[in-house]
Amino acid sequence: MLDRVFGPRRARQFHRLLHNGKITLLCLVLTIVVLRGNLGAGKFGTPEQDFKEIRETFYQYRGKRAEPRRVLEEIQTTTEQTTSSSSTNNYAEFDINKLFVDEEDDVKKNPNEPYSIGPKISDWDEQRGEWLKQNPNFPNFVNPNKPRVLLVTGSSPKPCENPVGDHYLLKSIKNKIDYCRIHGIEIFYNMALLDAEMAGFWAKLPLIRKLLLSHPEVEFLWWMDSDAMFTDMAFELPWERYKDRNLVMHGWNEMVYDEKNWIGLNTGSFLLRNCQWSLDLIDVWAPMGPKGKIREEAGKVLTRELKDRPVFEADDQSAMVWILASQKERWADKVYLENHYYLHGYWGILVDRYEEMIASYHPGFGDHRWPLVTHFVGCKPCGKFGDYPVERCLKQMDRAFNFGDNQILQMYGFTHKSLASRRVKRTRNDSSNPLEVKDELGLLHPAYKAVKVPSS
Amino acid sequence: MGQERAQKRGSATLPTSTAPTAVSRTARTLRAGNRQIHKTLNNIKITILCGLVTILVLRGTIGFSSLSPDTDLENQAIIEETNRILAEIRSDKDPEDDNQNQPTTNLNDTYTLGVKISNWDHKRSLWLTRNQDFPNIVNGKARILLVTGSPPNPCDNAIGDHYLLKSIKNKIDYCRIHGIEIVYNMAHLDKELSGYWAKLPLIRRLMLSHPEVEWIWWMDSDALFTDMVFKVPLSKYKDHNLVIHGYPDLLFDQKSWIALNTGSFLFRNCQWSLDLLDDWAPMGPKGPVREEAGKILTASLKGRPAFEADDQSALIYLLITKSEWMSKVFVENSYFLHGYWAGLVDRYEEMMEKYHPGLGDERWPFVTHFVGCKPCGSYGDYPVQRCLSSMERAFNFADNQVLKLYGFRHRGLLSPKIKRIRNETVTPLQYVDRFDIRHSGQATSN
Repeated sequence: MLDRVFGPRRARQFHRLLHNGKITLLCLVLTIVVLRGNLGAGKFGTPEQDFKEIRETFYQYRGKRAEPRRVLEEIQTTTEQTTSSSSTNNYAEFDINKLFVDEEDDVKKNPNEPYSIGPKISDWDEQRGEWLKQNPNFPNFVNPNKPRVLLVTGSSPKPCENPVGDHYLLKSIKNKIDYCRIHGIEIFYNMALLDAEMAGFWAKLPLIRKLLLSHPEVEFLWWMDSDAMFTDMAFELPWERYKDRNLVMHGWNEMVYDEKNWIGLNTGSFLLRNCQWSLDLIDVWAPMGPKGKIREEAGKVLTRELKDRPVFEADDQSAMVWILASQKERWADKVYLENHYYLHGYWGILVDRYEEMIASYHPGFGDHRWPLVTHFVGCKPCGKFGDYPVERCLKQMDRAFNFGDNQILQMYGFTHKSLASRRVKRTRNDSSNPLEVKDELGLLHPAYKAVKVPSS
Repeated sequence: MGQERAQKRGSATLPTSTAPTAVSRTARTLRAGNRQIHKTLNNIKITILCGLVTILVLRGTIGFSSLSPDTDLENQAIIEETNRILAEIRSDKDPEDDNQNQPTTNLNDTYTLGVKISNWDHKRSLWLTRNQDFPNIVNGKARILLVTGSPPNPCDNAIGDHYLLKSIKNKIDYCRIHGIEIVYNMAHLDKELSGYWAKLPLIRRLMLSHPEVEWIWWMDSDALFTDMVFKVPLSKYKDHNLVIHGYPDLLFDQKSWIALNTGSFLFRNCQWSLDLLDDWAPMGPKGPVREEAGKILTASLKGRPAFEADDQSALIYLLITKSEWMSKVFVENSYFLHGYWAGLVDRYEEMMEKYHPGLGDERWPFVTHFVGCKPCGSYGDYPVQRCLSSMERAFNFADNQVLKLYGFRHRGLLSPKIKRIRNETVTPLQYVDRFDIRHSGQATSN
């Protein structure tokens, strides 16, 4: 056809041109694709993203979710159909969620009402001071140097989604019971959601406020997450250092006040004094908490204002960083960001060094040599999904538990056979003079537990 | 004519002139054919080239595995891995297990709990005099240590661990209110005294390490406090060293194996107690000793089924056969130091209506003990539904008494959710005085 138009030679030229053009175009396209695959094309995306999008839309139609980073589910083994669930004696067949019955409905909240954590109290210091005077049997200082401390922790009243989650909660509370018994600290284990709007990590705020107001004899309230464990049983907190401070958290001044880094401090383990200042702080802290739109919007503000914060709803830790950084003049003088010991110790950098610590150091330091607290942030053993592989989290929690437990067992002459083992072995023979034997760490009868002897 | 001839000639010459045209035609067709072949070859080359490059690029960016239609494979691998880890955690296997068999005590060996101590009272009082800052009586109250525990490995099912957690929270609450310290044991101190016998070496060890403790209170993990106000009337026991719930007629007349209950009892820290523990232990060592002892106990005690020796039957047998021990044993039944759950759990609503905490007896039981439920195992002696709903009810019944100070209660005894019973106020201390069990004069003792 082209022959007729252009003539045979021309037609051939044209064909060759077309052919070359095709090859050029092909090469150009290839170049772009390869470069995009290797370097990425910014907002035009990368092939992986394309693939993921395609897969996800495909899966949407197939009714499946994209796989999470870690899945912790129990494959139900096929159990034979035995008798009906109401008369079975087998615990494995029972669905615990059928047990719970709420006899009353949730209280409907007026959506137009702004959230309030409680009526504003302005004279708490006076009220409390008066009460302490009238109740000398409940002093706020058990020793001249030791304030009365209440350790507060908690978990959900429903069983964990993960089949071994409750076991780790149990070990965690045993660990806290041991530390607190040695150090004369009382424990409050919370299993109630006091305020449905402040659910999740915010649930500690209404609880803390309620406990401060109901226990005027408590001088310091020590909040501790359920995934944090004591690993130095001998370390006593330096109460003297905090005599003029009302809030003690693990963190770094530069990271909070200068960088506004969202992990500049950690609210997984902190001390709060029972006073008006604390109530005021809670009042300022709470407004970002109510779930729903408020928390979402607050999350966006926090991600924008704080360094390195990923996008998610507002959490209490980021809110605290933001409050301290933006209202420094009001709060900073009573806040102590402690980093001389691990009031909170991120587990990732500690758990592999336990054997080295045992070889080189001894309990009582509380710092990198022998951490006071190992905090398993991100492991979420009670839930199904965590940020780290299952094996690493659970095995390391076992090791941390045994590391702390060894210090308790040594009081009685035992120790775990290894940090991974549940079995114990003797470290000293039974003696006919048990009172002559002193435990190495002096934890059986430590000085800070001595009772004030009334002078008769 | 001539034209025709010319034409003919022309046409005659045609055949000769077609010969070169025929050649050029085949040449042309050949050339055309060549071009065709070239074109096809080129097309094939380009197609192959494109195909290769596509594969390379895709492989480079995405990888072969994702192209496999079954991406479930990866998921499946993760699930299998986590299940393997869970199974490993739950099993009793331990990285430190010896491969050789654990030696069990022979029938002829005598088992001892530890080195015999004969002057513990003297040693202890000497220590107390020297350590005045660790007195055995604080604020007029004798120092009590509550001891409980559970096995170190996870329960056979998750529900068991959840109720162990609720149970320890319940004990923490009671002990915080009453100034009692807790030891939660998760270690087997003596391989031979395993299972329910494990409490014996533990109690002995704690007595000897804590001379400042006056009373050691053992409590099973399946026992819950249901009266948060009631205090154990220690003054009643000033001449006794063992306080245990039971019925004297069942004990001496009927020799019943449930005459006493070792799920909740108090031991004074003294020489007498150490001696009793030494006398109690011999039936415990696992293996042939425990089996044989079990047979003796089944033969001697009324109603006892055939199984290996347990600490409760052994204690009953000991107190019956060596009744000189009884002079210092107080068999308590005026309040439920141990309260068998079946007769109590259905009456909680009735109790809440008619009575009040602080009574400790059948009107408001001190302790509700879930004997036989065994939530940590796989099978209990009772239907699961009944056991778990009763345990939940008992837990919430007790928790209501704790939450009262804070102005909340559960929305029903089977509900994990709470509701307000008191509005927030700017003067919370008035309620503290009224409702804090430690301050209000509600604590009664019989």
